[in-house]
Amino acid sequence: MKKPAATYQTIYRDKIDAEFLRNKLKLKNIEVRESFSQKFPEVNKFLVKRGIDLGKIREHSAKIIGAGVLSGTLLFAPPGGIKDIPPITELISSIKDSVGDNAGDIPQKLLIDLLKEVLPAKPRSLEASEEKKLEQVFEKVIGVRTRASLEGEHLNTTYGYIGAEQHLARYPGDTIVNHPKIAVGDEGMAPGLGAWGYFTPSREKLSKSLEETEKWYAVVQTLYLPDWNKRSKYLREWYKYRKVLIVNTDNGNAVVAAIADSGPAAWTGKHFGGSPEVMEYLGGPRYKKGAVILFFVDDPENKVPLGPVDYNKLNLSGLALRQI
Amino acid sequence: MSKIFYDRLIILEEIEVEIKNIAKTPEEKEELWSEIDEIVHHKLMGCVLEKLPKAHHHDFLQKFEKSPQDEGLFKFLTEKVGEDIEEFLKTETEKLKKELLQLIKGN
Repeated sequence: MKKPAATYQTIYRDKIDAEFLRNKLKLKNIEVRESFSQKFPEVNKFLVKRGIDLGKIREHSAKIIGAGVLSGTLLFAPPGGIKDIPPITELISSIKDSVGDNAGDIPQKLLIDLLKEVLPAKPRSLEASEEKKLEQVFEKVIGVRTRASLEGEHLNTTYGYIGAEQHLARYPGDTIVNHPKIAVGDEGMAPGLGAWGYFTPSREKLSKSLEETEKWYAVVQTLYLPDWNKRSKYLREWYKYRKVLIVNTDNGNAVVAAIADSGPAAWTGKHFGGSPEVMEYLGGPRYKKGAVILFFVDDPENKVPLGPVDYNKLNLSGLALRQI
Repeated sequence: MSKIFYDRLIILEEIEVEIKNIAKTPEEKEELWSEIDEIVHHKLMGCVLEKLPKAHHHDFLQKFEKSPQDEGLFKFLTEKVGEDIEEFLKTETEKLKKELLQLIKGN
C-alpha cells in the first residue's frame, strides 16, 4: 500500500497543468532575476540604462539583425565568413567541367555541389546576396521559384536545423488511429494543437487539400519575429499555410510544405520543424534533425503542389534527365 | 536570425517535450517557452559573468549589447577567462536542464 505522501505525489503529477507550471516557472524566473541583480548590480544598471531586459534579449538581437538585413548587409561579420561567389551560370559550368563523368548533369548531384559552393560550413544567418544566389539555384536546378523575402516578409533565419514534429489534429476528435502514418519511426500525434488550431471544424469538412496541408506541414519560428507583437494579426494570416521549399543541404532532397505551426523553442538547437512525412522524405525514417534551407515559394497562382519535389525527373532546360 | 551567441550550446529538447505534453493551447505553449527562455538567459549570463573577471565586465557588456548574436564573443571570453568557456557553459546547461526538468515534473 502506498504511503499517503506517495499518493499525494501521484495526484500532484496527474494534476499538473499549464497554469500550475506557468506559476512555478514565473516564481523561478523571479528568483533567478533577483539573484542576478544581487550578484551583478553594475551589470543590471548597465542593462537598465540601455533599456535592455536580459530575459527579452532575443527581441534586442532580432532588432539588430533586422536592421542589418534591411540595410542589405549584416552589421557584424558572420562567424563563417562570406564567400566570394561567382554567378550561378558560371558556377554550374565550372562544376560540370570539374566532374570527369556525367555526374555534373544529374540535377541532385549538381544541387549538392552548388550548395557546397554557396553555403557556409555551418548554419548561420545568410547574407542577402547569398540568399539571392540560392533563389537562382533552386529555380534553375529544382524548378521551383522561391524567395527568402516575399512581400516584405523574411524569417529570422533561412538556413538552420530542422527537427522532427508529430502529426497535428486536423479536426476535433482526430486521433492517431484514423490519422495517416509513416511506415517506420512515426512520431505519433502532438498532444496540443498547431498554432492555427484545427484545420477544419469537423471530419466531414476535411478536404483533400487540408489533408495534404497537414501531411506536408512545416514549423517556423514566427513567435521570434521582431515585429510579431506589433503586427501579429497580419502576420498570423500571412504565415498561415504559407508554402515553403525545404531543401536538405546534405543530400539535396527537397519538399514543398505548408506552415502550420509555430516553433520550435529557441533553446532546442533547432530553427524549423517538419511533419513525419516531410522529415521522412528529407532524410529517411530515422532522420530527426538536420541542416536545411527554407525559402518561401513564390506561387501567386497556387500552382505548386505540396509534397516532394522530384526534380531529377523534371525536364529543365540545360539539365539532363537522369536520376541518382 | 534572432539568436544569442551561446544558443547552439543550449539544447533543452526534453524540456520542450514536457511542455508540449502539458500545454493545451499554442498560446500556453509559447508562454511556457518564454518563461524558460528568460530563466536560461539569466542563468547563462550569470555563469559567464561569474567566470569573467570583473575588470572585463564592461567591455564584454558593450560587445554583447552591440552584437548579442556574435559567436566571436566566445573568443573574447575564452581569452579573458583563460579556459574553454564553451565547455564550461555546456556543463552549466546540463545542470540547468536537470534543474528545470525537476521543476517541471514536480519532484
